Amino acid sequence: MAKLDARTFDDFLRRDNPFVTAGPCVFDLRGVTFVSPAALVQLTAACHAIHQRGQTPVIAIEDSSVRSYLLRAAFFSALEGVADIQPSLVKPWNRIYDHMRGSNPMLIEVTKIESGAALPSLLDQVVDVLRFRLKYRKNDAFDVATAVSELSQNTFDHNQNTCGFLAMQVYGKGAKRFLEIAVADHGCGLAATLGRNPKNPRALSDVEAIKEAIKPGVSEHDDPTRGTGLYHLLEITYKHEGSVQIRSGSGIARYRMDRKMGWYLSVPPMPGVQVALTLPSKAA
Amino acid sequence: MEQTFALGEYGKHLWTRDLARKIRVRVVEGLAELAPGDVLVIDAQGVEVFDFSFANELFGKLLLELPKDHSGRFVIVEHLTAYTRENLAKALESLGLVIIERKGKKLEMLGKAHTVDQQTFNVIAQAKESITAAELKEKLGINLNAMNERLTKLTGLGLVRREKTVSGAGREQYEYRVLS
Repeated sequence: MAKLDARTFDDFLRRDNPFVTAGPCVFDLRGVTFVSPAALVQLTAACHAIHQRGQTPVIAIEDSSVRSYLLRAAFFSALEGVADIQPSLVKPWNRIYDHMRGSNPMLIEVTKIESGAALPSLLDQVVDVLRFRLKYRKNDAFDVATAVSELSQNTFDHNQNTCGFLAMQVYGKGAKRFLEIAVADHGCGLAATLGRNPKNPRALSDVEAIKEAIKPGVSEHDDPTRGTGLYHLLEITYKHEGSVQIRSGSGIARYRMDRKMGWYLSVPPMPGVQVALTLPSKAA
Repeated sequence: MEQTFALGEYGKHLWTRDLARKIRVRVVEGLAELAPGDVLVIDAQGVEVFDFSFANELFGKLLLELPKDHSGRFVIVEHLTAYTRENLAKALESLGLVIIERKGKKLEMLGKAHTVDQQTFNVIAQAKESITAAELKEKLGINLNAMNERLTKLTGLGLVRREKTVSGAGREQYEYRVLS
C-alpha cells in the first residue's frame, strides 16, 4: 500500500485490526509513501485508544521521506509516550521540527484537542487558508471554519478521558488545489453517545447512528441548543461541492456533494468518530 | 435604563461553546444588575464571525433563561454583520427563539418569527407610546381573543413589555410597548 488516506486506512486496518485481535499491535507503514491528514489523525487516535487499554502500539516505518513528513506533521510528537516508532527516533530528533509548528499556512500539524482553548488559532488559520489560498469568499471561509469548530468541539463534548486530534493540509496548485482537514477522536462513537439520550432511537448500528447524527437537533444531550455540528458540516460541504467522510465504530458514510450522493458501508471497527473533509479551490 | 455589553472586546472571531459560556456568565452578571423594564444591549460591533455552538450557548441559553431568571428585562442585539445575523438567525430558528435586533432606531425580530408576530411587534414598536390590546386589534383588524394570544406569546418571549395601568374610565387594563 503506497497511499494511506481516509479510504485506504480501512484496508490497512482490515489486514490486522488490533481492535479485533489480541496480541501485540503493530501498524506496519513500510511501503507507505504518502499519508494524508485524515490517516494521520485516525492513526493517532487509534494509537491513543490502544495505549489507553494498556498496550503500546508499534509503528514500523522505514522510508526516510515519509518519516521526515511525519516528523514535520508532528505525528510523532502526538504519539510521544503512546507508541513505539521503529526504527526508533533518537531524541531530540523526534522534535526537530517543533520550532516550525504553525509556520506553514498550508499545514496544520497533528494537534491534540482537549478543550476549546486550542481551537481559535487553528480555526483562524483555516479561515485564512480558505480565503487567501483557495479563494473562498470571507463568509464562505467562516462557514467552513464554523463546521470544523463544531466537529472539533464534539471530540471533547461527548467523551470523557479521551481527546481529539486535528490536522490539515493543502495540496496542488491553482484550480486543482484542494484542502483536506480531518478530526478524529477515540471516544465512544456515535451509537453510544446518541444512545445516552433516551429521546434518540435505541440500539442503533454504527451506520444507523451516522444517519441519525446528521439530522438537525440529534445529540447526546437533551438540550435544544445541541445537535447541529454534523448537519451543518454536510450543508457546508454540499454548498462548496466538497466531500466528507464520517466514520464511527464499524460504520462509515461517504458523501460526494458534487454528485449529491452518499454511501454507507461497514468497515473494520475502531473506537471513536473520525471525520475527513475535502474542499476544492474556488480559483478559476 | 440601558446597559451595553461590548461583545467585540472578546475578539472578532468568536469560536466555541467554552468561550460563549464564559461570556454568558458576564452577561448574566450584567442582567442581574438590571431592573424589570431595563434593557441589556449586546453590541456585536467588530465581531465578524461566531460559530453555532457559540450562538447557541450565548444567545440561545440566555433567551431560554430570560423569562424565568430575569423576567421583565430585555436583551437586544445590535451591530450584527450580514454573516453574524445569518448565523444567529439560524441558531435561534432551530431553537424556536427570537431576539430583538436594533438597527439604528429601528427594532426588528430576529430568529423564529412568525409573520403575524412580526406584524404585531412592528405595530407596537412603531407606536410612540404604550398601546392597549383594544387599540392594537383595531390597527391590525383582528378580534380581541386573537390579539391577546399574540400579545401573550410576544410577552412570553421577552419581546414585548406588559404594564398594568388604569384607563380613563377607571378600569384596570394592560398596555404594551417594546422597550422602555
